[in-house]
Amino acid sequence: MPNPTALMIVGALLFAIGVVGFLTRRNMIVMFLSTEVMFQGVLMNLVGMGLLHGNIQGQGLGIFVLVIAAVEAGLGLAIVVMLYRRRGTLDAENWRSLRG
Amino acid sequence: MSVPLVYISYIVSALFAFGIFVGLPKQGRFPRRGAFIVVMAVASAMLIYLLQLLFGAESRNITFCILAVLGLAAAIRVVTHPLPVYSALYFVFVVLATAAMLIQVGAEFLGAALVIVYAGAILVTYVFVIMLSQQSPEMKGRISAMLDYDRSAREPVWATLACFMLMAVLAGMIVEHPWKTVAQPLSAVATRNTVELGRLLMTDFAVSVELAAVLLMVALVGAVAIARKRLPQAADFSDHKAPGEAGKTVVPY
Repeated sequence: MPNPTALMIVGALLFAIGVVGFLTRRNMIVMFLSTEVMFQGVLMNLVGMGLLHGNIQGQGLGIFVLVIAAVEAGLGLAIVVMLYRRRGTLDAENWRSLRG
Repeated sequence: MSVPLVYISYIVSALFAFGIFVGLPKQGRFPRRGAFIVVMAVASAMLIYLLQLLFGAESRNITFCILAVLGLAAAIRVVTHPLPVYSALYFVFVVLATAAMLIQVGAEFLGAALVIVYAGAILVTYVFVIMLSQQSPEMKGRISAMLDYDRSAREPVWATLACFMLMAVLAGMIVEHPWKTVAQPLSAVATRNTVELGRLLMTDFAVSVELAAVLLMVALVGAVAIARKRLPQAADFSDHKAPGEAGKTVVPY
């Protein structure tokens, strides 16, 4: 069985990759895909921490991460579809006015 | 070992951040594919070296290393590929690699759930929305045919710098921290994984499971309410519309 620390390192790298995707890409769908990559990193970290403690609570929390990811995908994509219908583009820069 | 582990983790972070920087679409040019592959190969080799040092000599696990490299490379392609459809397909790869890694450490139920929920449900939604909202019909991989906002990344230098800082801090902390490992009751957890997880969800996390159900329901209703297409009501056409004409024109909004 692999070392839980290795699992946590891979999870941390996945999370950081998701962060850079969310920061740099301008397509709203790809931005949401990057958040899903971040969710994978968090999930691996939860499982790794649970293994370090020798119990299964981390995997239980991982199930809830899955639920949140599904909710986020559903709501986020609904918002993306609505925004696309309004402006006819997926460019996040077009909604710059929301910055205030 | 001569070099401390934390420096190796910094090198791995720097290489991965540089790989992202090389791969990101910039100024309408295709990323240099050869440079990207070389950087990714070096980064993967360093990552495998780091993981092998972590595992120690007695418990080498080359399968885990290969899965980690594949998953991370696919994740980088998710955030750097200029075409969203390919991003979604690479994300399937990330999900499969993650699930395989989880199964390797004994989290079988979570791995299976990951494949079913992510690759089965969420990805279908993503691909569906991508197909709904792609405008240019002629995308033959030519950079000029791509959309402007897919061709150019926003602030690639600063974003990859921030990414490197985050990776280095996280990985260095994980490597350096003296984790107190429990004296391996893992096998009991791993062998009866699904049974134990089900018992945990139905006892300790029972209220949370109910809350998750409520949350899913609310999200379902919310998504329908947000994405619903508003059809004009009869009151919107009260002026000069013959009866029967009201539903035929849809006001663009």
